[in-house]
Amino acid sequence: MEDLNAGPYATRRADAGSGVADAVVHEVARLLRRLAVDPDFADVIDLRSLPMADADRASLRQRLGDGEIDAALNLAGLTRIRDTAYSGVWWARHADADNRCVLEQIIVARVPELLMAHLADIDAAAVRLSLELSRAQGKPEHA
Amino acid sequence: MELLDFARGTALAIAFAVFVAGTLWRLAGVLLLPRIRDFSPAREGAPPAMLGAVRAVLRRMWPRKEFVQATMFATINSYVFHIGLALVVFGLAPHILFIRNLTGLAWPALPSNLVFGIGVITLAALVGALARRLVHPVLRLLSHTGDYLSWLMTVLPVITGLLATSHLGARYETLLAVHILSVAALLVWFPFGKLMHAVLFAFSRGATGMRFSHRGVNV
Amino acid sequence: MPEAMLLGDLLRQMGISRRAFLKYASYMASLMALPPSVAGVMADGLAKARRQAVIWLSLQECTGCTESLTRSFSPSLEDLIFDFISLDYHHTLQAASGEAAEAARRQSMRENRGKYLVVVDGSVPTADGGVYSVIAGRTNMDMLAETVEHAAAVIAVGTCASFGGLPQADPNPTGAVAITKLVSGKPVINIPGCPPMPQAMAGTITHFLSFGTLPELDALQRPRAFFGETIHDRCYRRSFYERGMFAKSFDDEGARQGWCLYELGCKGPVTYNACASLKWNGGVSFPIQSGHGCIGCSEPRFWDRGGLYRPLSAGTTDVGKVIGIAAAAGAALGAGAAALARQRRASTSAKEA
Repeated sequence: MEDLNAGPYATRRADAGSGVADAVVHEVARLLRRLAVDPDFADVIDLRSLPMADADRASLRQRLGDGEIDAALNLAGLTRIRDTAYSGVWWARHADADNRCVLEQIIVARVPELLMAHLADIDAAAVRLSLELSRAQGKPEHA
Repeated sequence: MELLDFARGTALAIAFAVFVAGTLWRLAGVLLLPRIRDFSPAREGAPPAMLGAVRAVLRRMWPRKEFVQATMFATINSYVFHIGLALVVFGLAPHILFIRNLTGLAWPALPSNLVFGIGVITLAALVGALARRLVHPVLRLLSHTGDYLSWLMTVLPVITGLLATSHLGARYETLLAVHILSVAALLVWFPFGKLMHAVLFAFSRGATGMRFSHRGVNV
Repeated sequence: MPEAMLLGDLLRQMGISRRAFLKYASYMASLMALPPSVAGVMADGLAKARRQAVIWLSLQECTGCTESLTRSFSPSLEDLIFDFISLDYHHTLQAASGEAAEAARRQSMRENRGKYLVVVDGSVPTADGGVYSVIAGRTNMDMLAETVEHAAAVIAVGTCASFGGLPQADPNPTGAVAITKLVSGKPVINIPGCPPMPQAMAGTITHFLSFGTLPELDALQRPRAFFGETIHDRCYRRSFYERGMFAKSFDDEGARQGWCLYELGCKGPVTYNACASLKWNGGVSFPIQSGHGCIGCSEPRFWDRGGLYRPLSAGTTDVGKVIGIAAAAGAALGAGAAALARQRRASTSAKEA
């Protein structure tokens, strides 16, 4: 019987008594069940809006664990999005230019919207790359 | 916020003025009345008049043995809310600050949670007193508007104080303003009704004690 | 020339992607207690908006409100607000001065007629025809009336603009009044505080840009998102208040242990602001955490509330004189009543005799 607690799906037992952490995990489970049924579903839990002490947050981190993805986004300060041990559940930590945490979220989605390239950005990028190519073709060839 | 400013400022100033003027008016009015002189010689072994007065004030803190059974509820219940009121008024930190602002005096406070509990018990005892007044046929017969008003003016600060300290029922600045206004109302009513017993009881008992200790039997 | 480009395109040219918009919108939505799902809508709204023309009038003020906004400690994130708006007139921040500055203001009013936001800090003196604050030869009253006439909305930042503030404190020699007393027929938002929280200023403007509407306001026209709770509601020292553990002076044992500052005049229970949750200087601290009671700086008339160090349960007037006069009057009345009684007795005995 494979050990579900080994390998890339490792989680650790949470400390006892974090009522808020429990409630959040229940909510995450509910959202994840919804996502399992509807792949286009997405929702976000704002951790700042909850009365969480540091111990609660740590406990929540432990229970959700780490997954395979650890993405660093440079967006007016560092935003770090990590996959948790539960596929479809992501942990986002947003910081400003001084690396002060301004927002923490749990995102339940196939992929967080922040990781996806925005359609408007893609449009602009396609135009820019075409321009870049035509400019390169206009120049004499280098050896 | 304007209500709170009015309560802490103008309302309290007027209330203190009426309270002090009214109380002194009644007290001076009574004490300056001509004395009923007793030209008979004092009985044998009569104590000095002042001692007789003080003894009476203290002795009548508890009913005579014969009357204890009949007055049990009134005696116990009254002590509960009187002592409760004293502990709440003089034991809660914000109240001590109020008094310090007036007089400069201050003393250590009781734990706020304890005072809250005492306040609840005081409220219960006050409600009990009203219930008795309404149910007991003799008391009901004797009671008039002034009695009920005295009860109301006493109970309002207790209720509004409990609400304010639990932040229950409205925004805090409103609750605090209403509490302070209820105290102002109590102060304004005080000199004109039976609440004056707080000042006059000592003189009343004292006068009786002086008279009785001068003549007749030792009571 | 009003900005033709949409913000999304404009900022992309500056290297700020739509992804950054989404992060900014998530942050703002969280600050304003909006559901996280709104962030996407907010970001789209922002990207489709044009750079908002803002005319900032600095009237009878100390520039603290501007300092608060520009010293906000999430640089690069909160600074984005300055990319979203076109600050066409601001005494401290604009390059132009004198006639050129006034010309810039009038030009912006012309080109953005009906669409520009007016941000006002400072109160407006009205005594003696308003001569106590004059800019470019015109009284504040005049300039305010002219500027708001074709504005979309007015945002009064700081307690001076919102409620009158320090200039209005007793005896108010300049006749200072709040903006709401002079502006009618236009939506006015108050963002009080001395100074106001930078997140409150930036968040309100962002809300307006993203949704085209003003955020939900309370009875004093303050955005509920930032002024819905009191300092007391979110104070970390609340448990000490509940238990009755108060510091009695600024350096005693209680103060060192971080006990409640009620006895030292803290106005937290009656002050609505976000200082206790968002804190200042990037979440570092706020007055109570630094050991000083809240002075209630986002409330009207906070300067005239009996003093910063007078506890809330204490009266605000000096009743010594009042009580003295009342005592004398009472005693006199009592003596008079007793004298009347004696006179009555004398006349009765005389009759009996």
